[in-house]
Amino acid sequence: MKRKIRIALPSKGRLNQPSIQVLQEAGINILRKERTYISKTSDPRFEAIFARAFDVPIYVQYGAADLGITGHDVILERKADVHELLDLGFGKCQLIVAVPENSGIRSIDDIPAVARVATEYPNLCQEYFESVEKQVEVLVVRGTAELAPKLGLAQTIVDITETGETLRRNKLKIVATILNSTCRLACNRIAYRVFESEINELLGKLRNGGASKK
Amino acid sequence: MQTPKGTKDYLPPEVERHRYVEQRLREVFKLWGYQEIRSPAIELVEVLSTGVGSELIDSMFKFQDFDGKIVALRAEMTAPAARIVTTKMLEAPRPIRLFYICNVFRYSQSYLEREREFWQAGVELIGCNTPGADGEVLALLASSLEKLGLEGVRIDVGHAGLLKDLLRATGLDEEKKVVLQNLLGYRDEDQLEKFMDQNNFSSQLREAFLRLSRCRRLEELSSVALEPLKYRRIKDYLRALLEVKDSLVKYGVENLVFFDFSLVRKIEYYTGIVFEASVPNLGLPLGGGGRYDNLIEKFGKVKIPATGFAVEIEKCLQALTSQGFQPLEKRKVLVASRFRDSAIKAVEAIRDAGVTALLDMTRGARKKVLDYAKLSGINYVVFVGSSFEKSATIHDTRLETVTNMRIKAFLQSLEDDQR
Repeated sequence: MKRKIRIALPSKGRLNQPSIQVLQEAGINILRKERTYISKTSDPRFEAIFARAFDVPIYVQYGAADLGITGHDVILERKADVHELLDLGFGKCQLIVAVPENSGIRSIDDIPAVARVATEYPNLCQEYFESVEKQVEVLVVRGTAELAPKLGLAQTIVDITETGETLRRNKLKIVATILNSTCRLACNRIAYRVFESEINELLGKLRNGGASKK
Repeated sequence: MQTPKGTKDYLPPEVERHRYVEQRLREVFKLWGYQEIRSPAIELVEVLSTGVGSELIDSMFKFQDFDGKIVALRAEMTAPAARIVTTKMLEAPRPIRLFYICNVFRYSQSYLEREREFWQAGVELIGCNTPGADGEVLALLASSLEKLGLEGVRIDVGHAGLLKDLLRATGLDEEKKVVLQNLLGYRDEDQLEKFMDQNNFSSQLREAFLRLSRCRRLEELSSVALEPLKYRRIKDYLRALLEVKDSLVKYGVENLVFFDFSLVRKIEYYTGIVFEASVPNLGLPLGGGGRYDNLIEKFGKVKIPATGFAVEIEKCLQALTSQGFQPLEKRKVLVASRFRDSAIKAVEAIRDAGVTALLDMTRGARKKVLDYAKLSGINYVVFVGSSFEKSATIHDTRLETVTNMRIKAFLQSLEDDQR
């Protein structure tokens, strides 16, 4: 009944290259062929698929992939019931609340009641504002939340930032940090039992390969 | 016009597959002496909420009855079974063996799309608190899944009482308990040790957590030694688990059973062993269960220990499908004739032989009848003349062959094929 262990990787964006690289350092080279959605790897026990970073937690929770590499923020946002086996160290970012630089808002307390908030992270956004007892209207946008204040869609945004560069360019300032995130190796609960020895071997290699330990 | 979110229609092919799983499970449950019960899909919310924990209560569809009482759709079947036992079967000799196959409803608030109506098949062994009873339920679960034709079945066993008591013994606050439980789930020994050092675990407790989280098989539990006085209950739990293992050996299913110290179920009423069944090609458990010795008394003040499990029919089907399973297709025969009389006689004769037979309604041209048969998944079309005793023309729709023979001979040939 042995089959290949499937790893889901972010198909594009800032996590794509480092994910491929971290696996390479652990001895798994992805032999990527165009137009096939399942890629072979140099280790015959593993195969890889590429998916949106946002969808990786779902693939892993439902066992469509046994392992997945994606951000801690995304795993929390998707409320995925998966094991986070390892902090891979890269993909450091923060989920923040930002408002226009020229607005009078200096802290979360200054955000008006029933403010509109544009975000790609509706769950984490809602939870955060509930925790600070602010009532907000959450607008889900895909990708470019930083445009929302410019276009008058919402004054406040909740978004990911790495260096703060995009925020500065869009004349936005951070008023709160919701969480710090890095890229994680997520694992399906059942796969972790079934493939324990193989997965532990990979974990060992990933740790030695330089991924920072949790 | 669509069905509400998370619900669906089952068209004939799906029902067929669904029924296959149901019937197999029903057969096995009955062979083991379990008797089927049914209960209303709607019950008072107090009944359904008893002992199950807030997560399940939150997920119930609730609404108000005409008299103002709050009712809900059942979200699982153990609470209704407990109610039935306390209110209607107190006099029944114990142990009582019950099973059910029914739909349950859960409203899921999570981000994920999930079925909100799904089917469960489960058993309850009531009135027995011996490891032998847990052994029977585990062996029945293993047998049921294997009888379905599933390969690579495994059952992971934990113990709700053992984990709860050990967590309590740490004296950690709730938040830290969750962290610890996660670490146990990740089986990350380094992190576990670090955590225990930071939180000043006694050496004895440290040893217990480490050893238990290393155990992968029930028999390895014999290596876990604890001072008898302080942790007497924990010792009892370990002994019981080892006895469960002994009974699994007798059933010959010990190879399928693993130990997972971190295993917890989302429903709260479990007190003893808890378990989950899975196959390697499905990332979600097929089902699970465990011992619940304190649930039934909440319904009627009589303490009755019990143990049981439930599996999800849909998950079993998904697992079967991904293992390449095809349900055995039953053959179907369409009978056509210009003479209604002999056509009816012919279908009756075929049905008497236990083969599915349909009567052509169109009395149309041969080609039309054959096209209909092909599109409807019918294997043979039999054209009968004025007398069904005489030779009939038989089309095999797959092989596209035509033969002439009498119905009797045709039925004989079908029977021969079956062998």
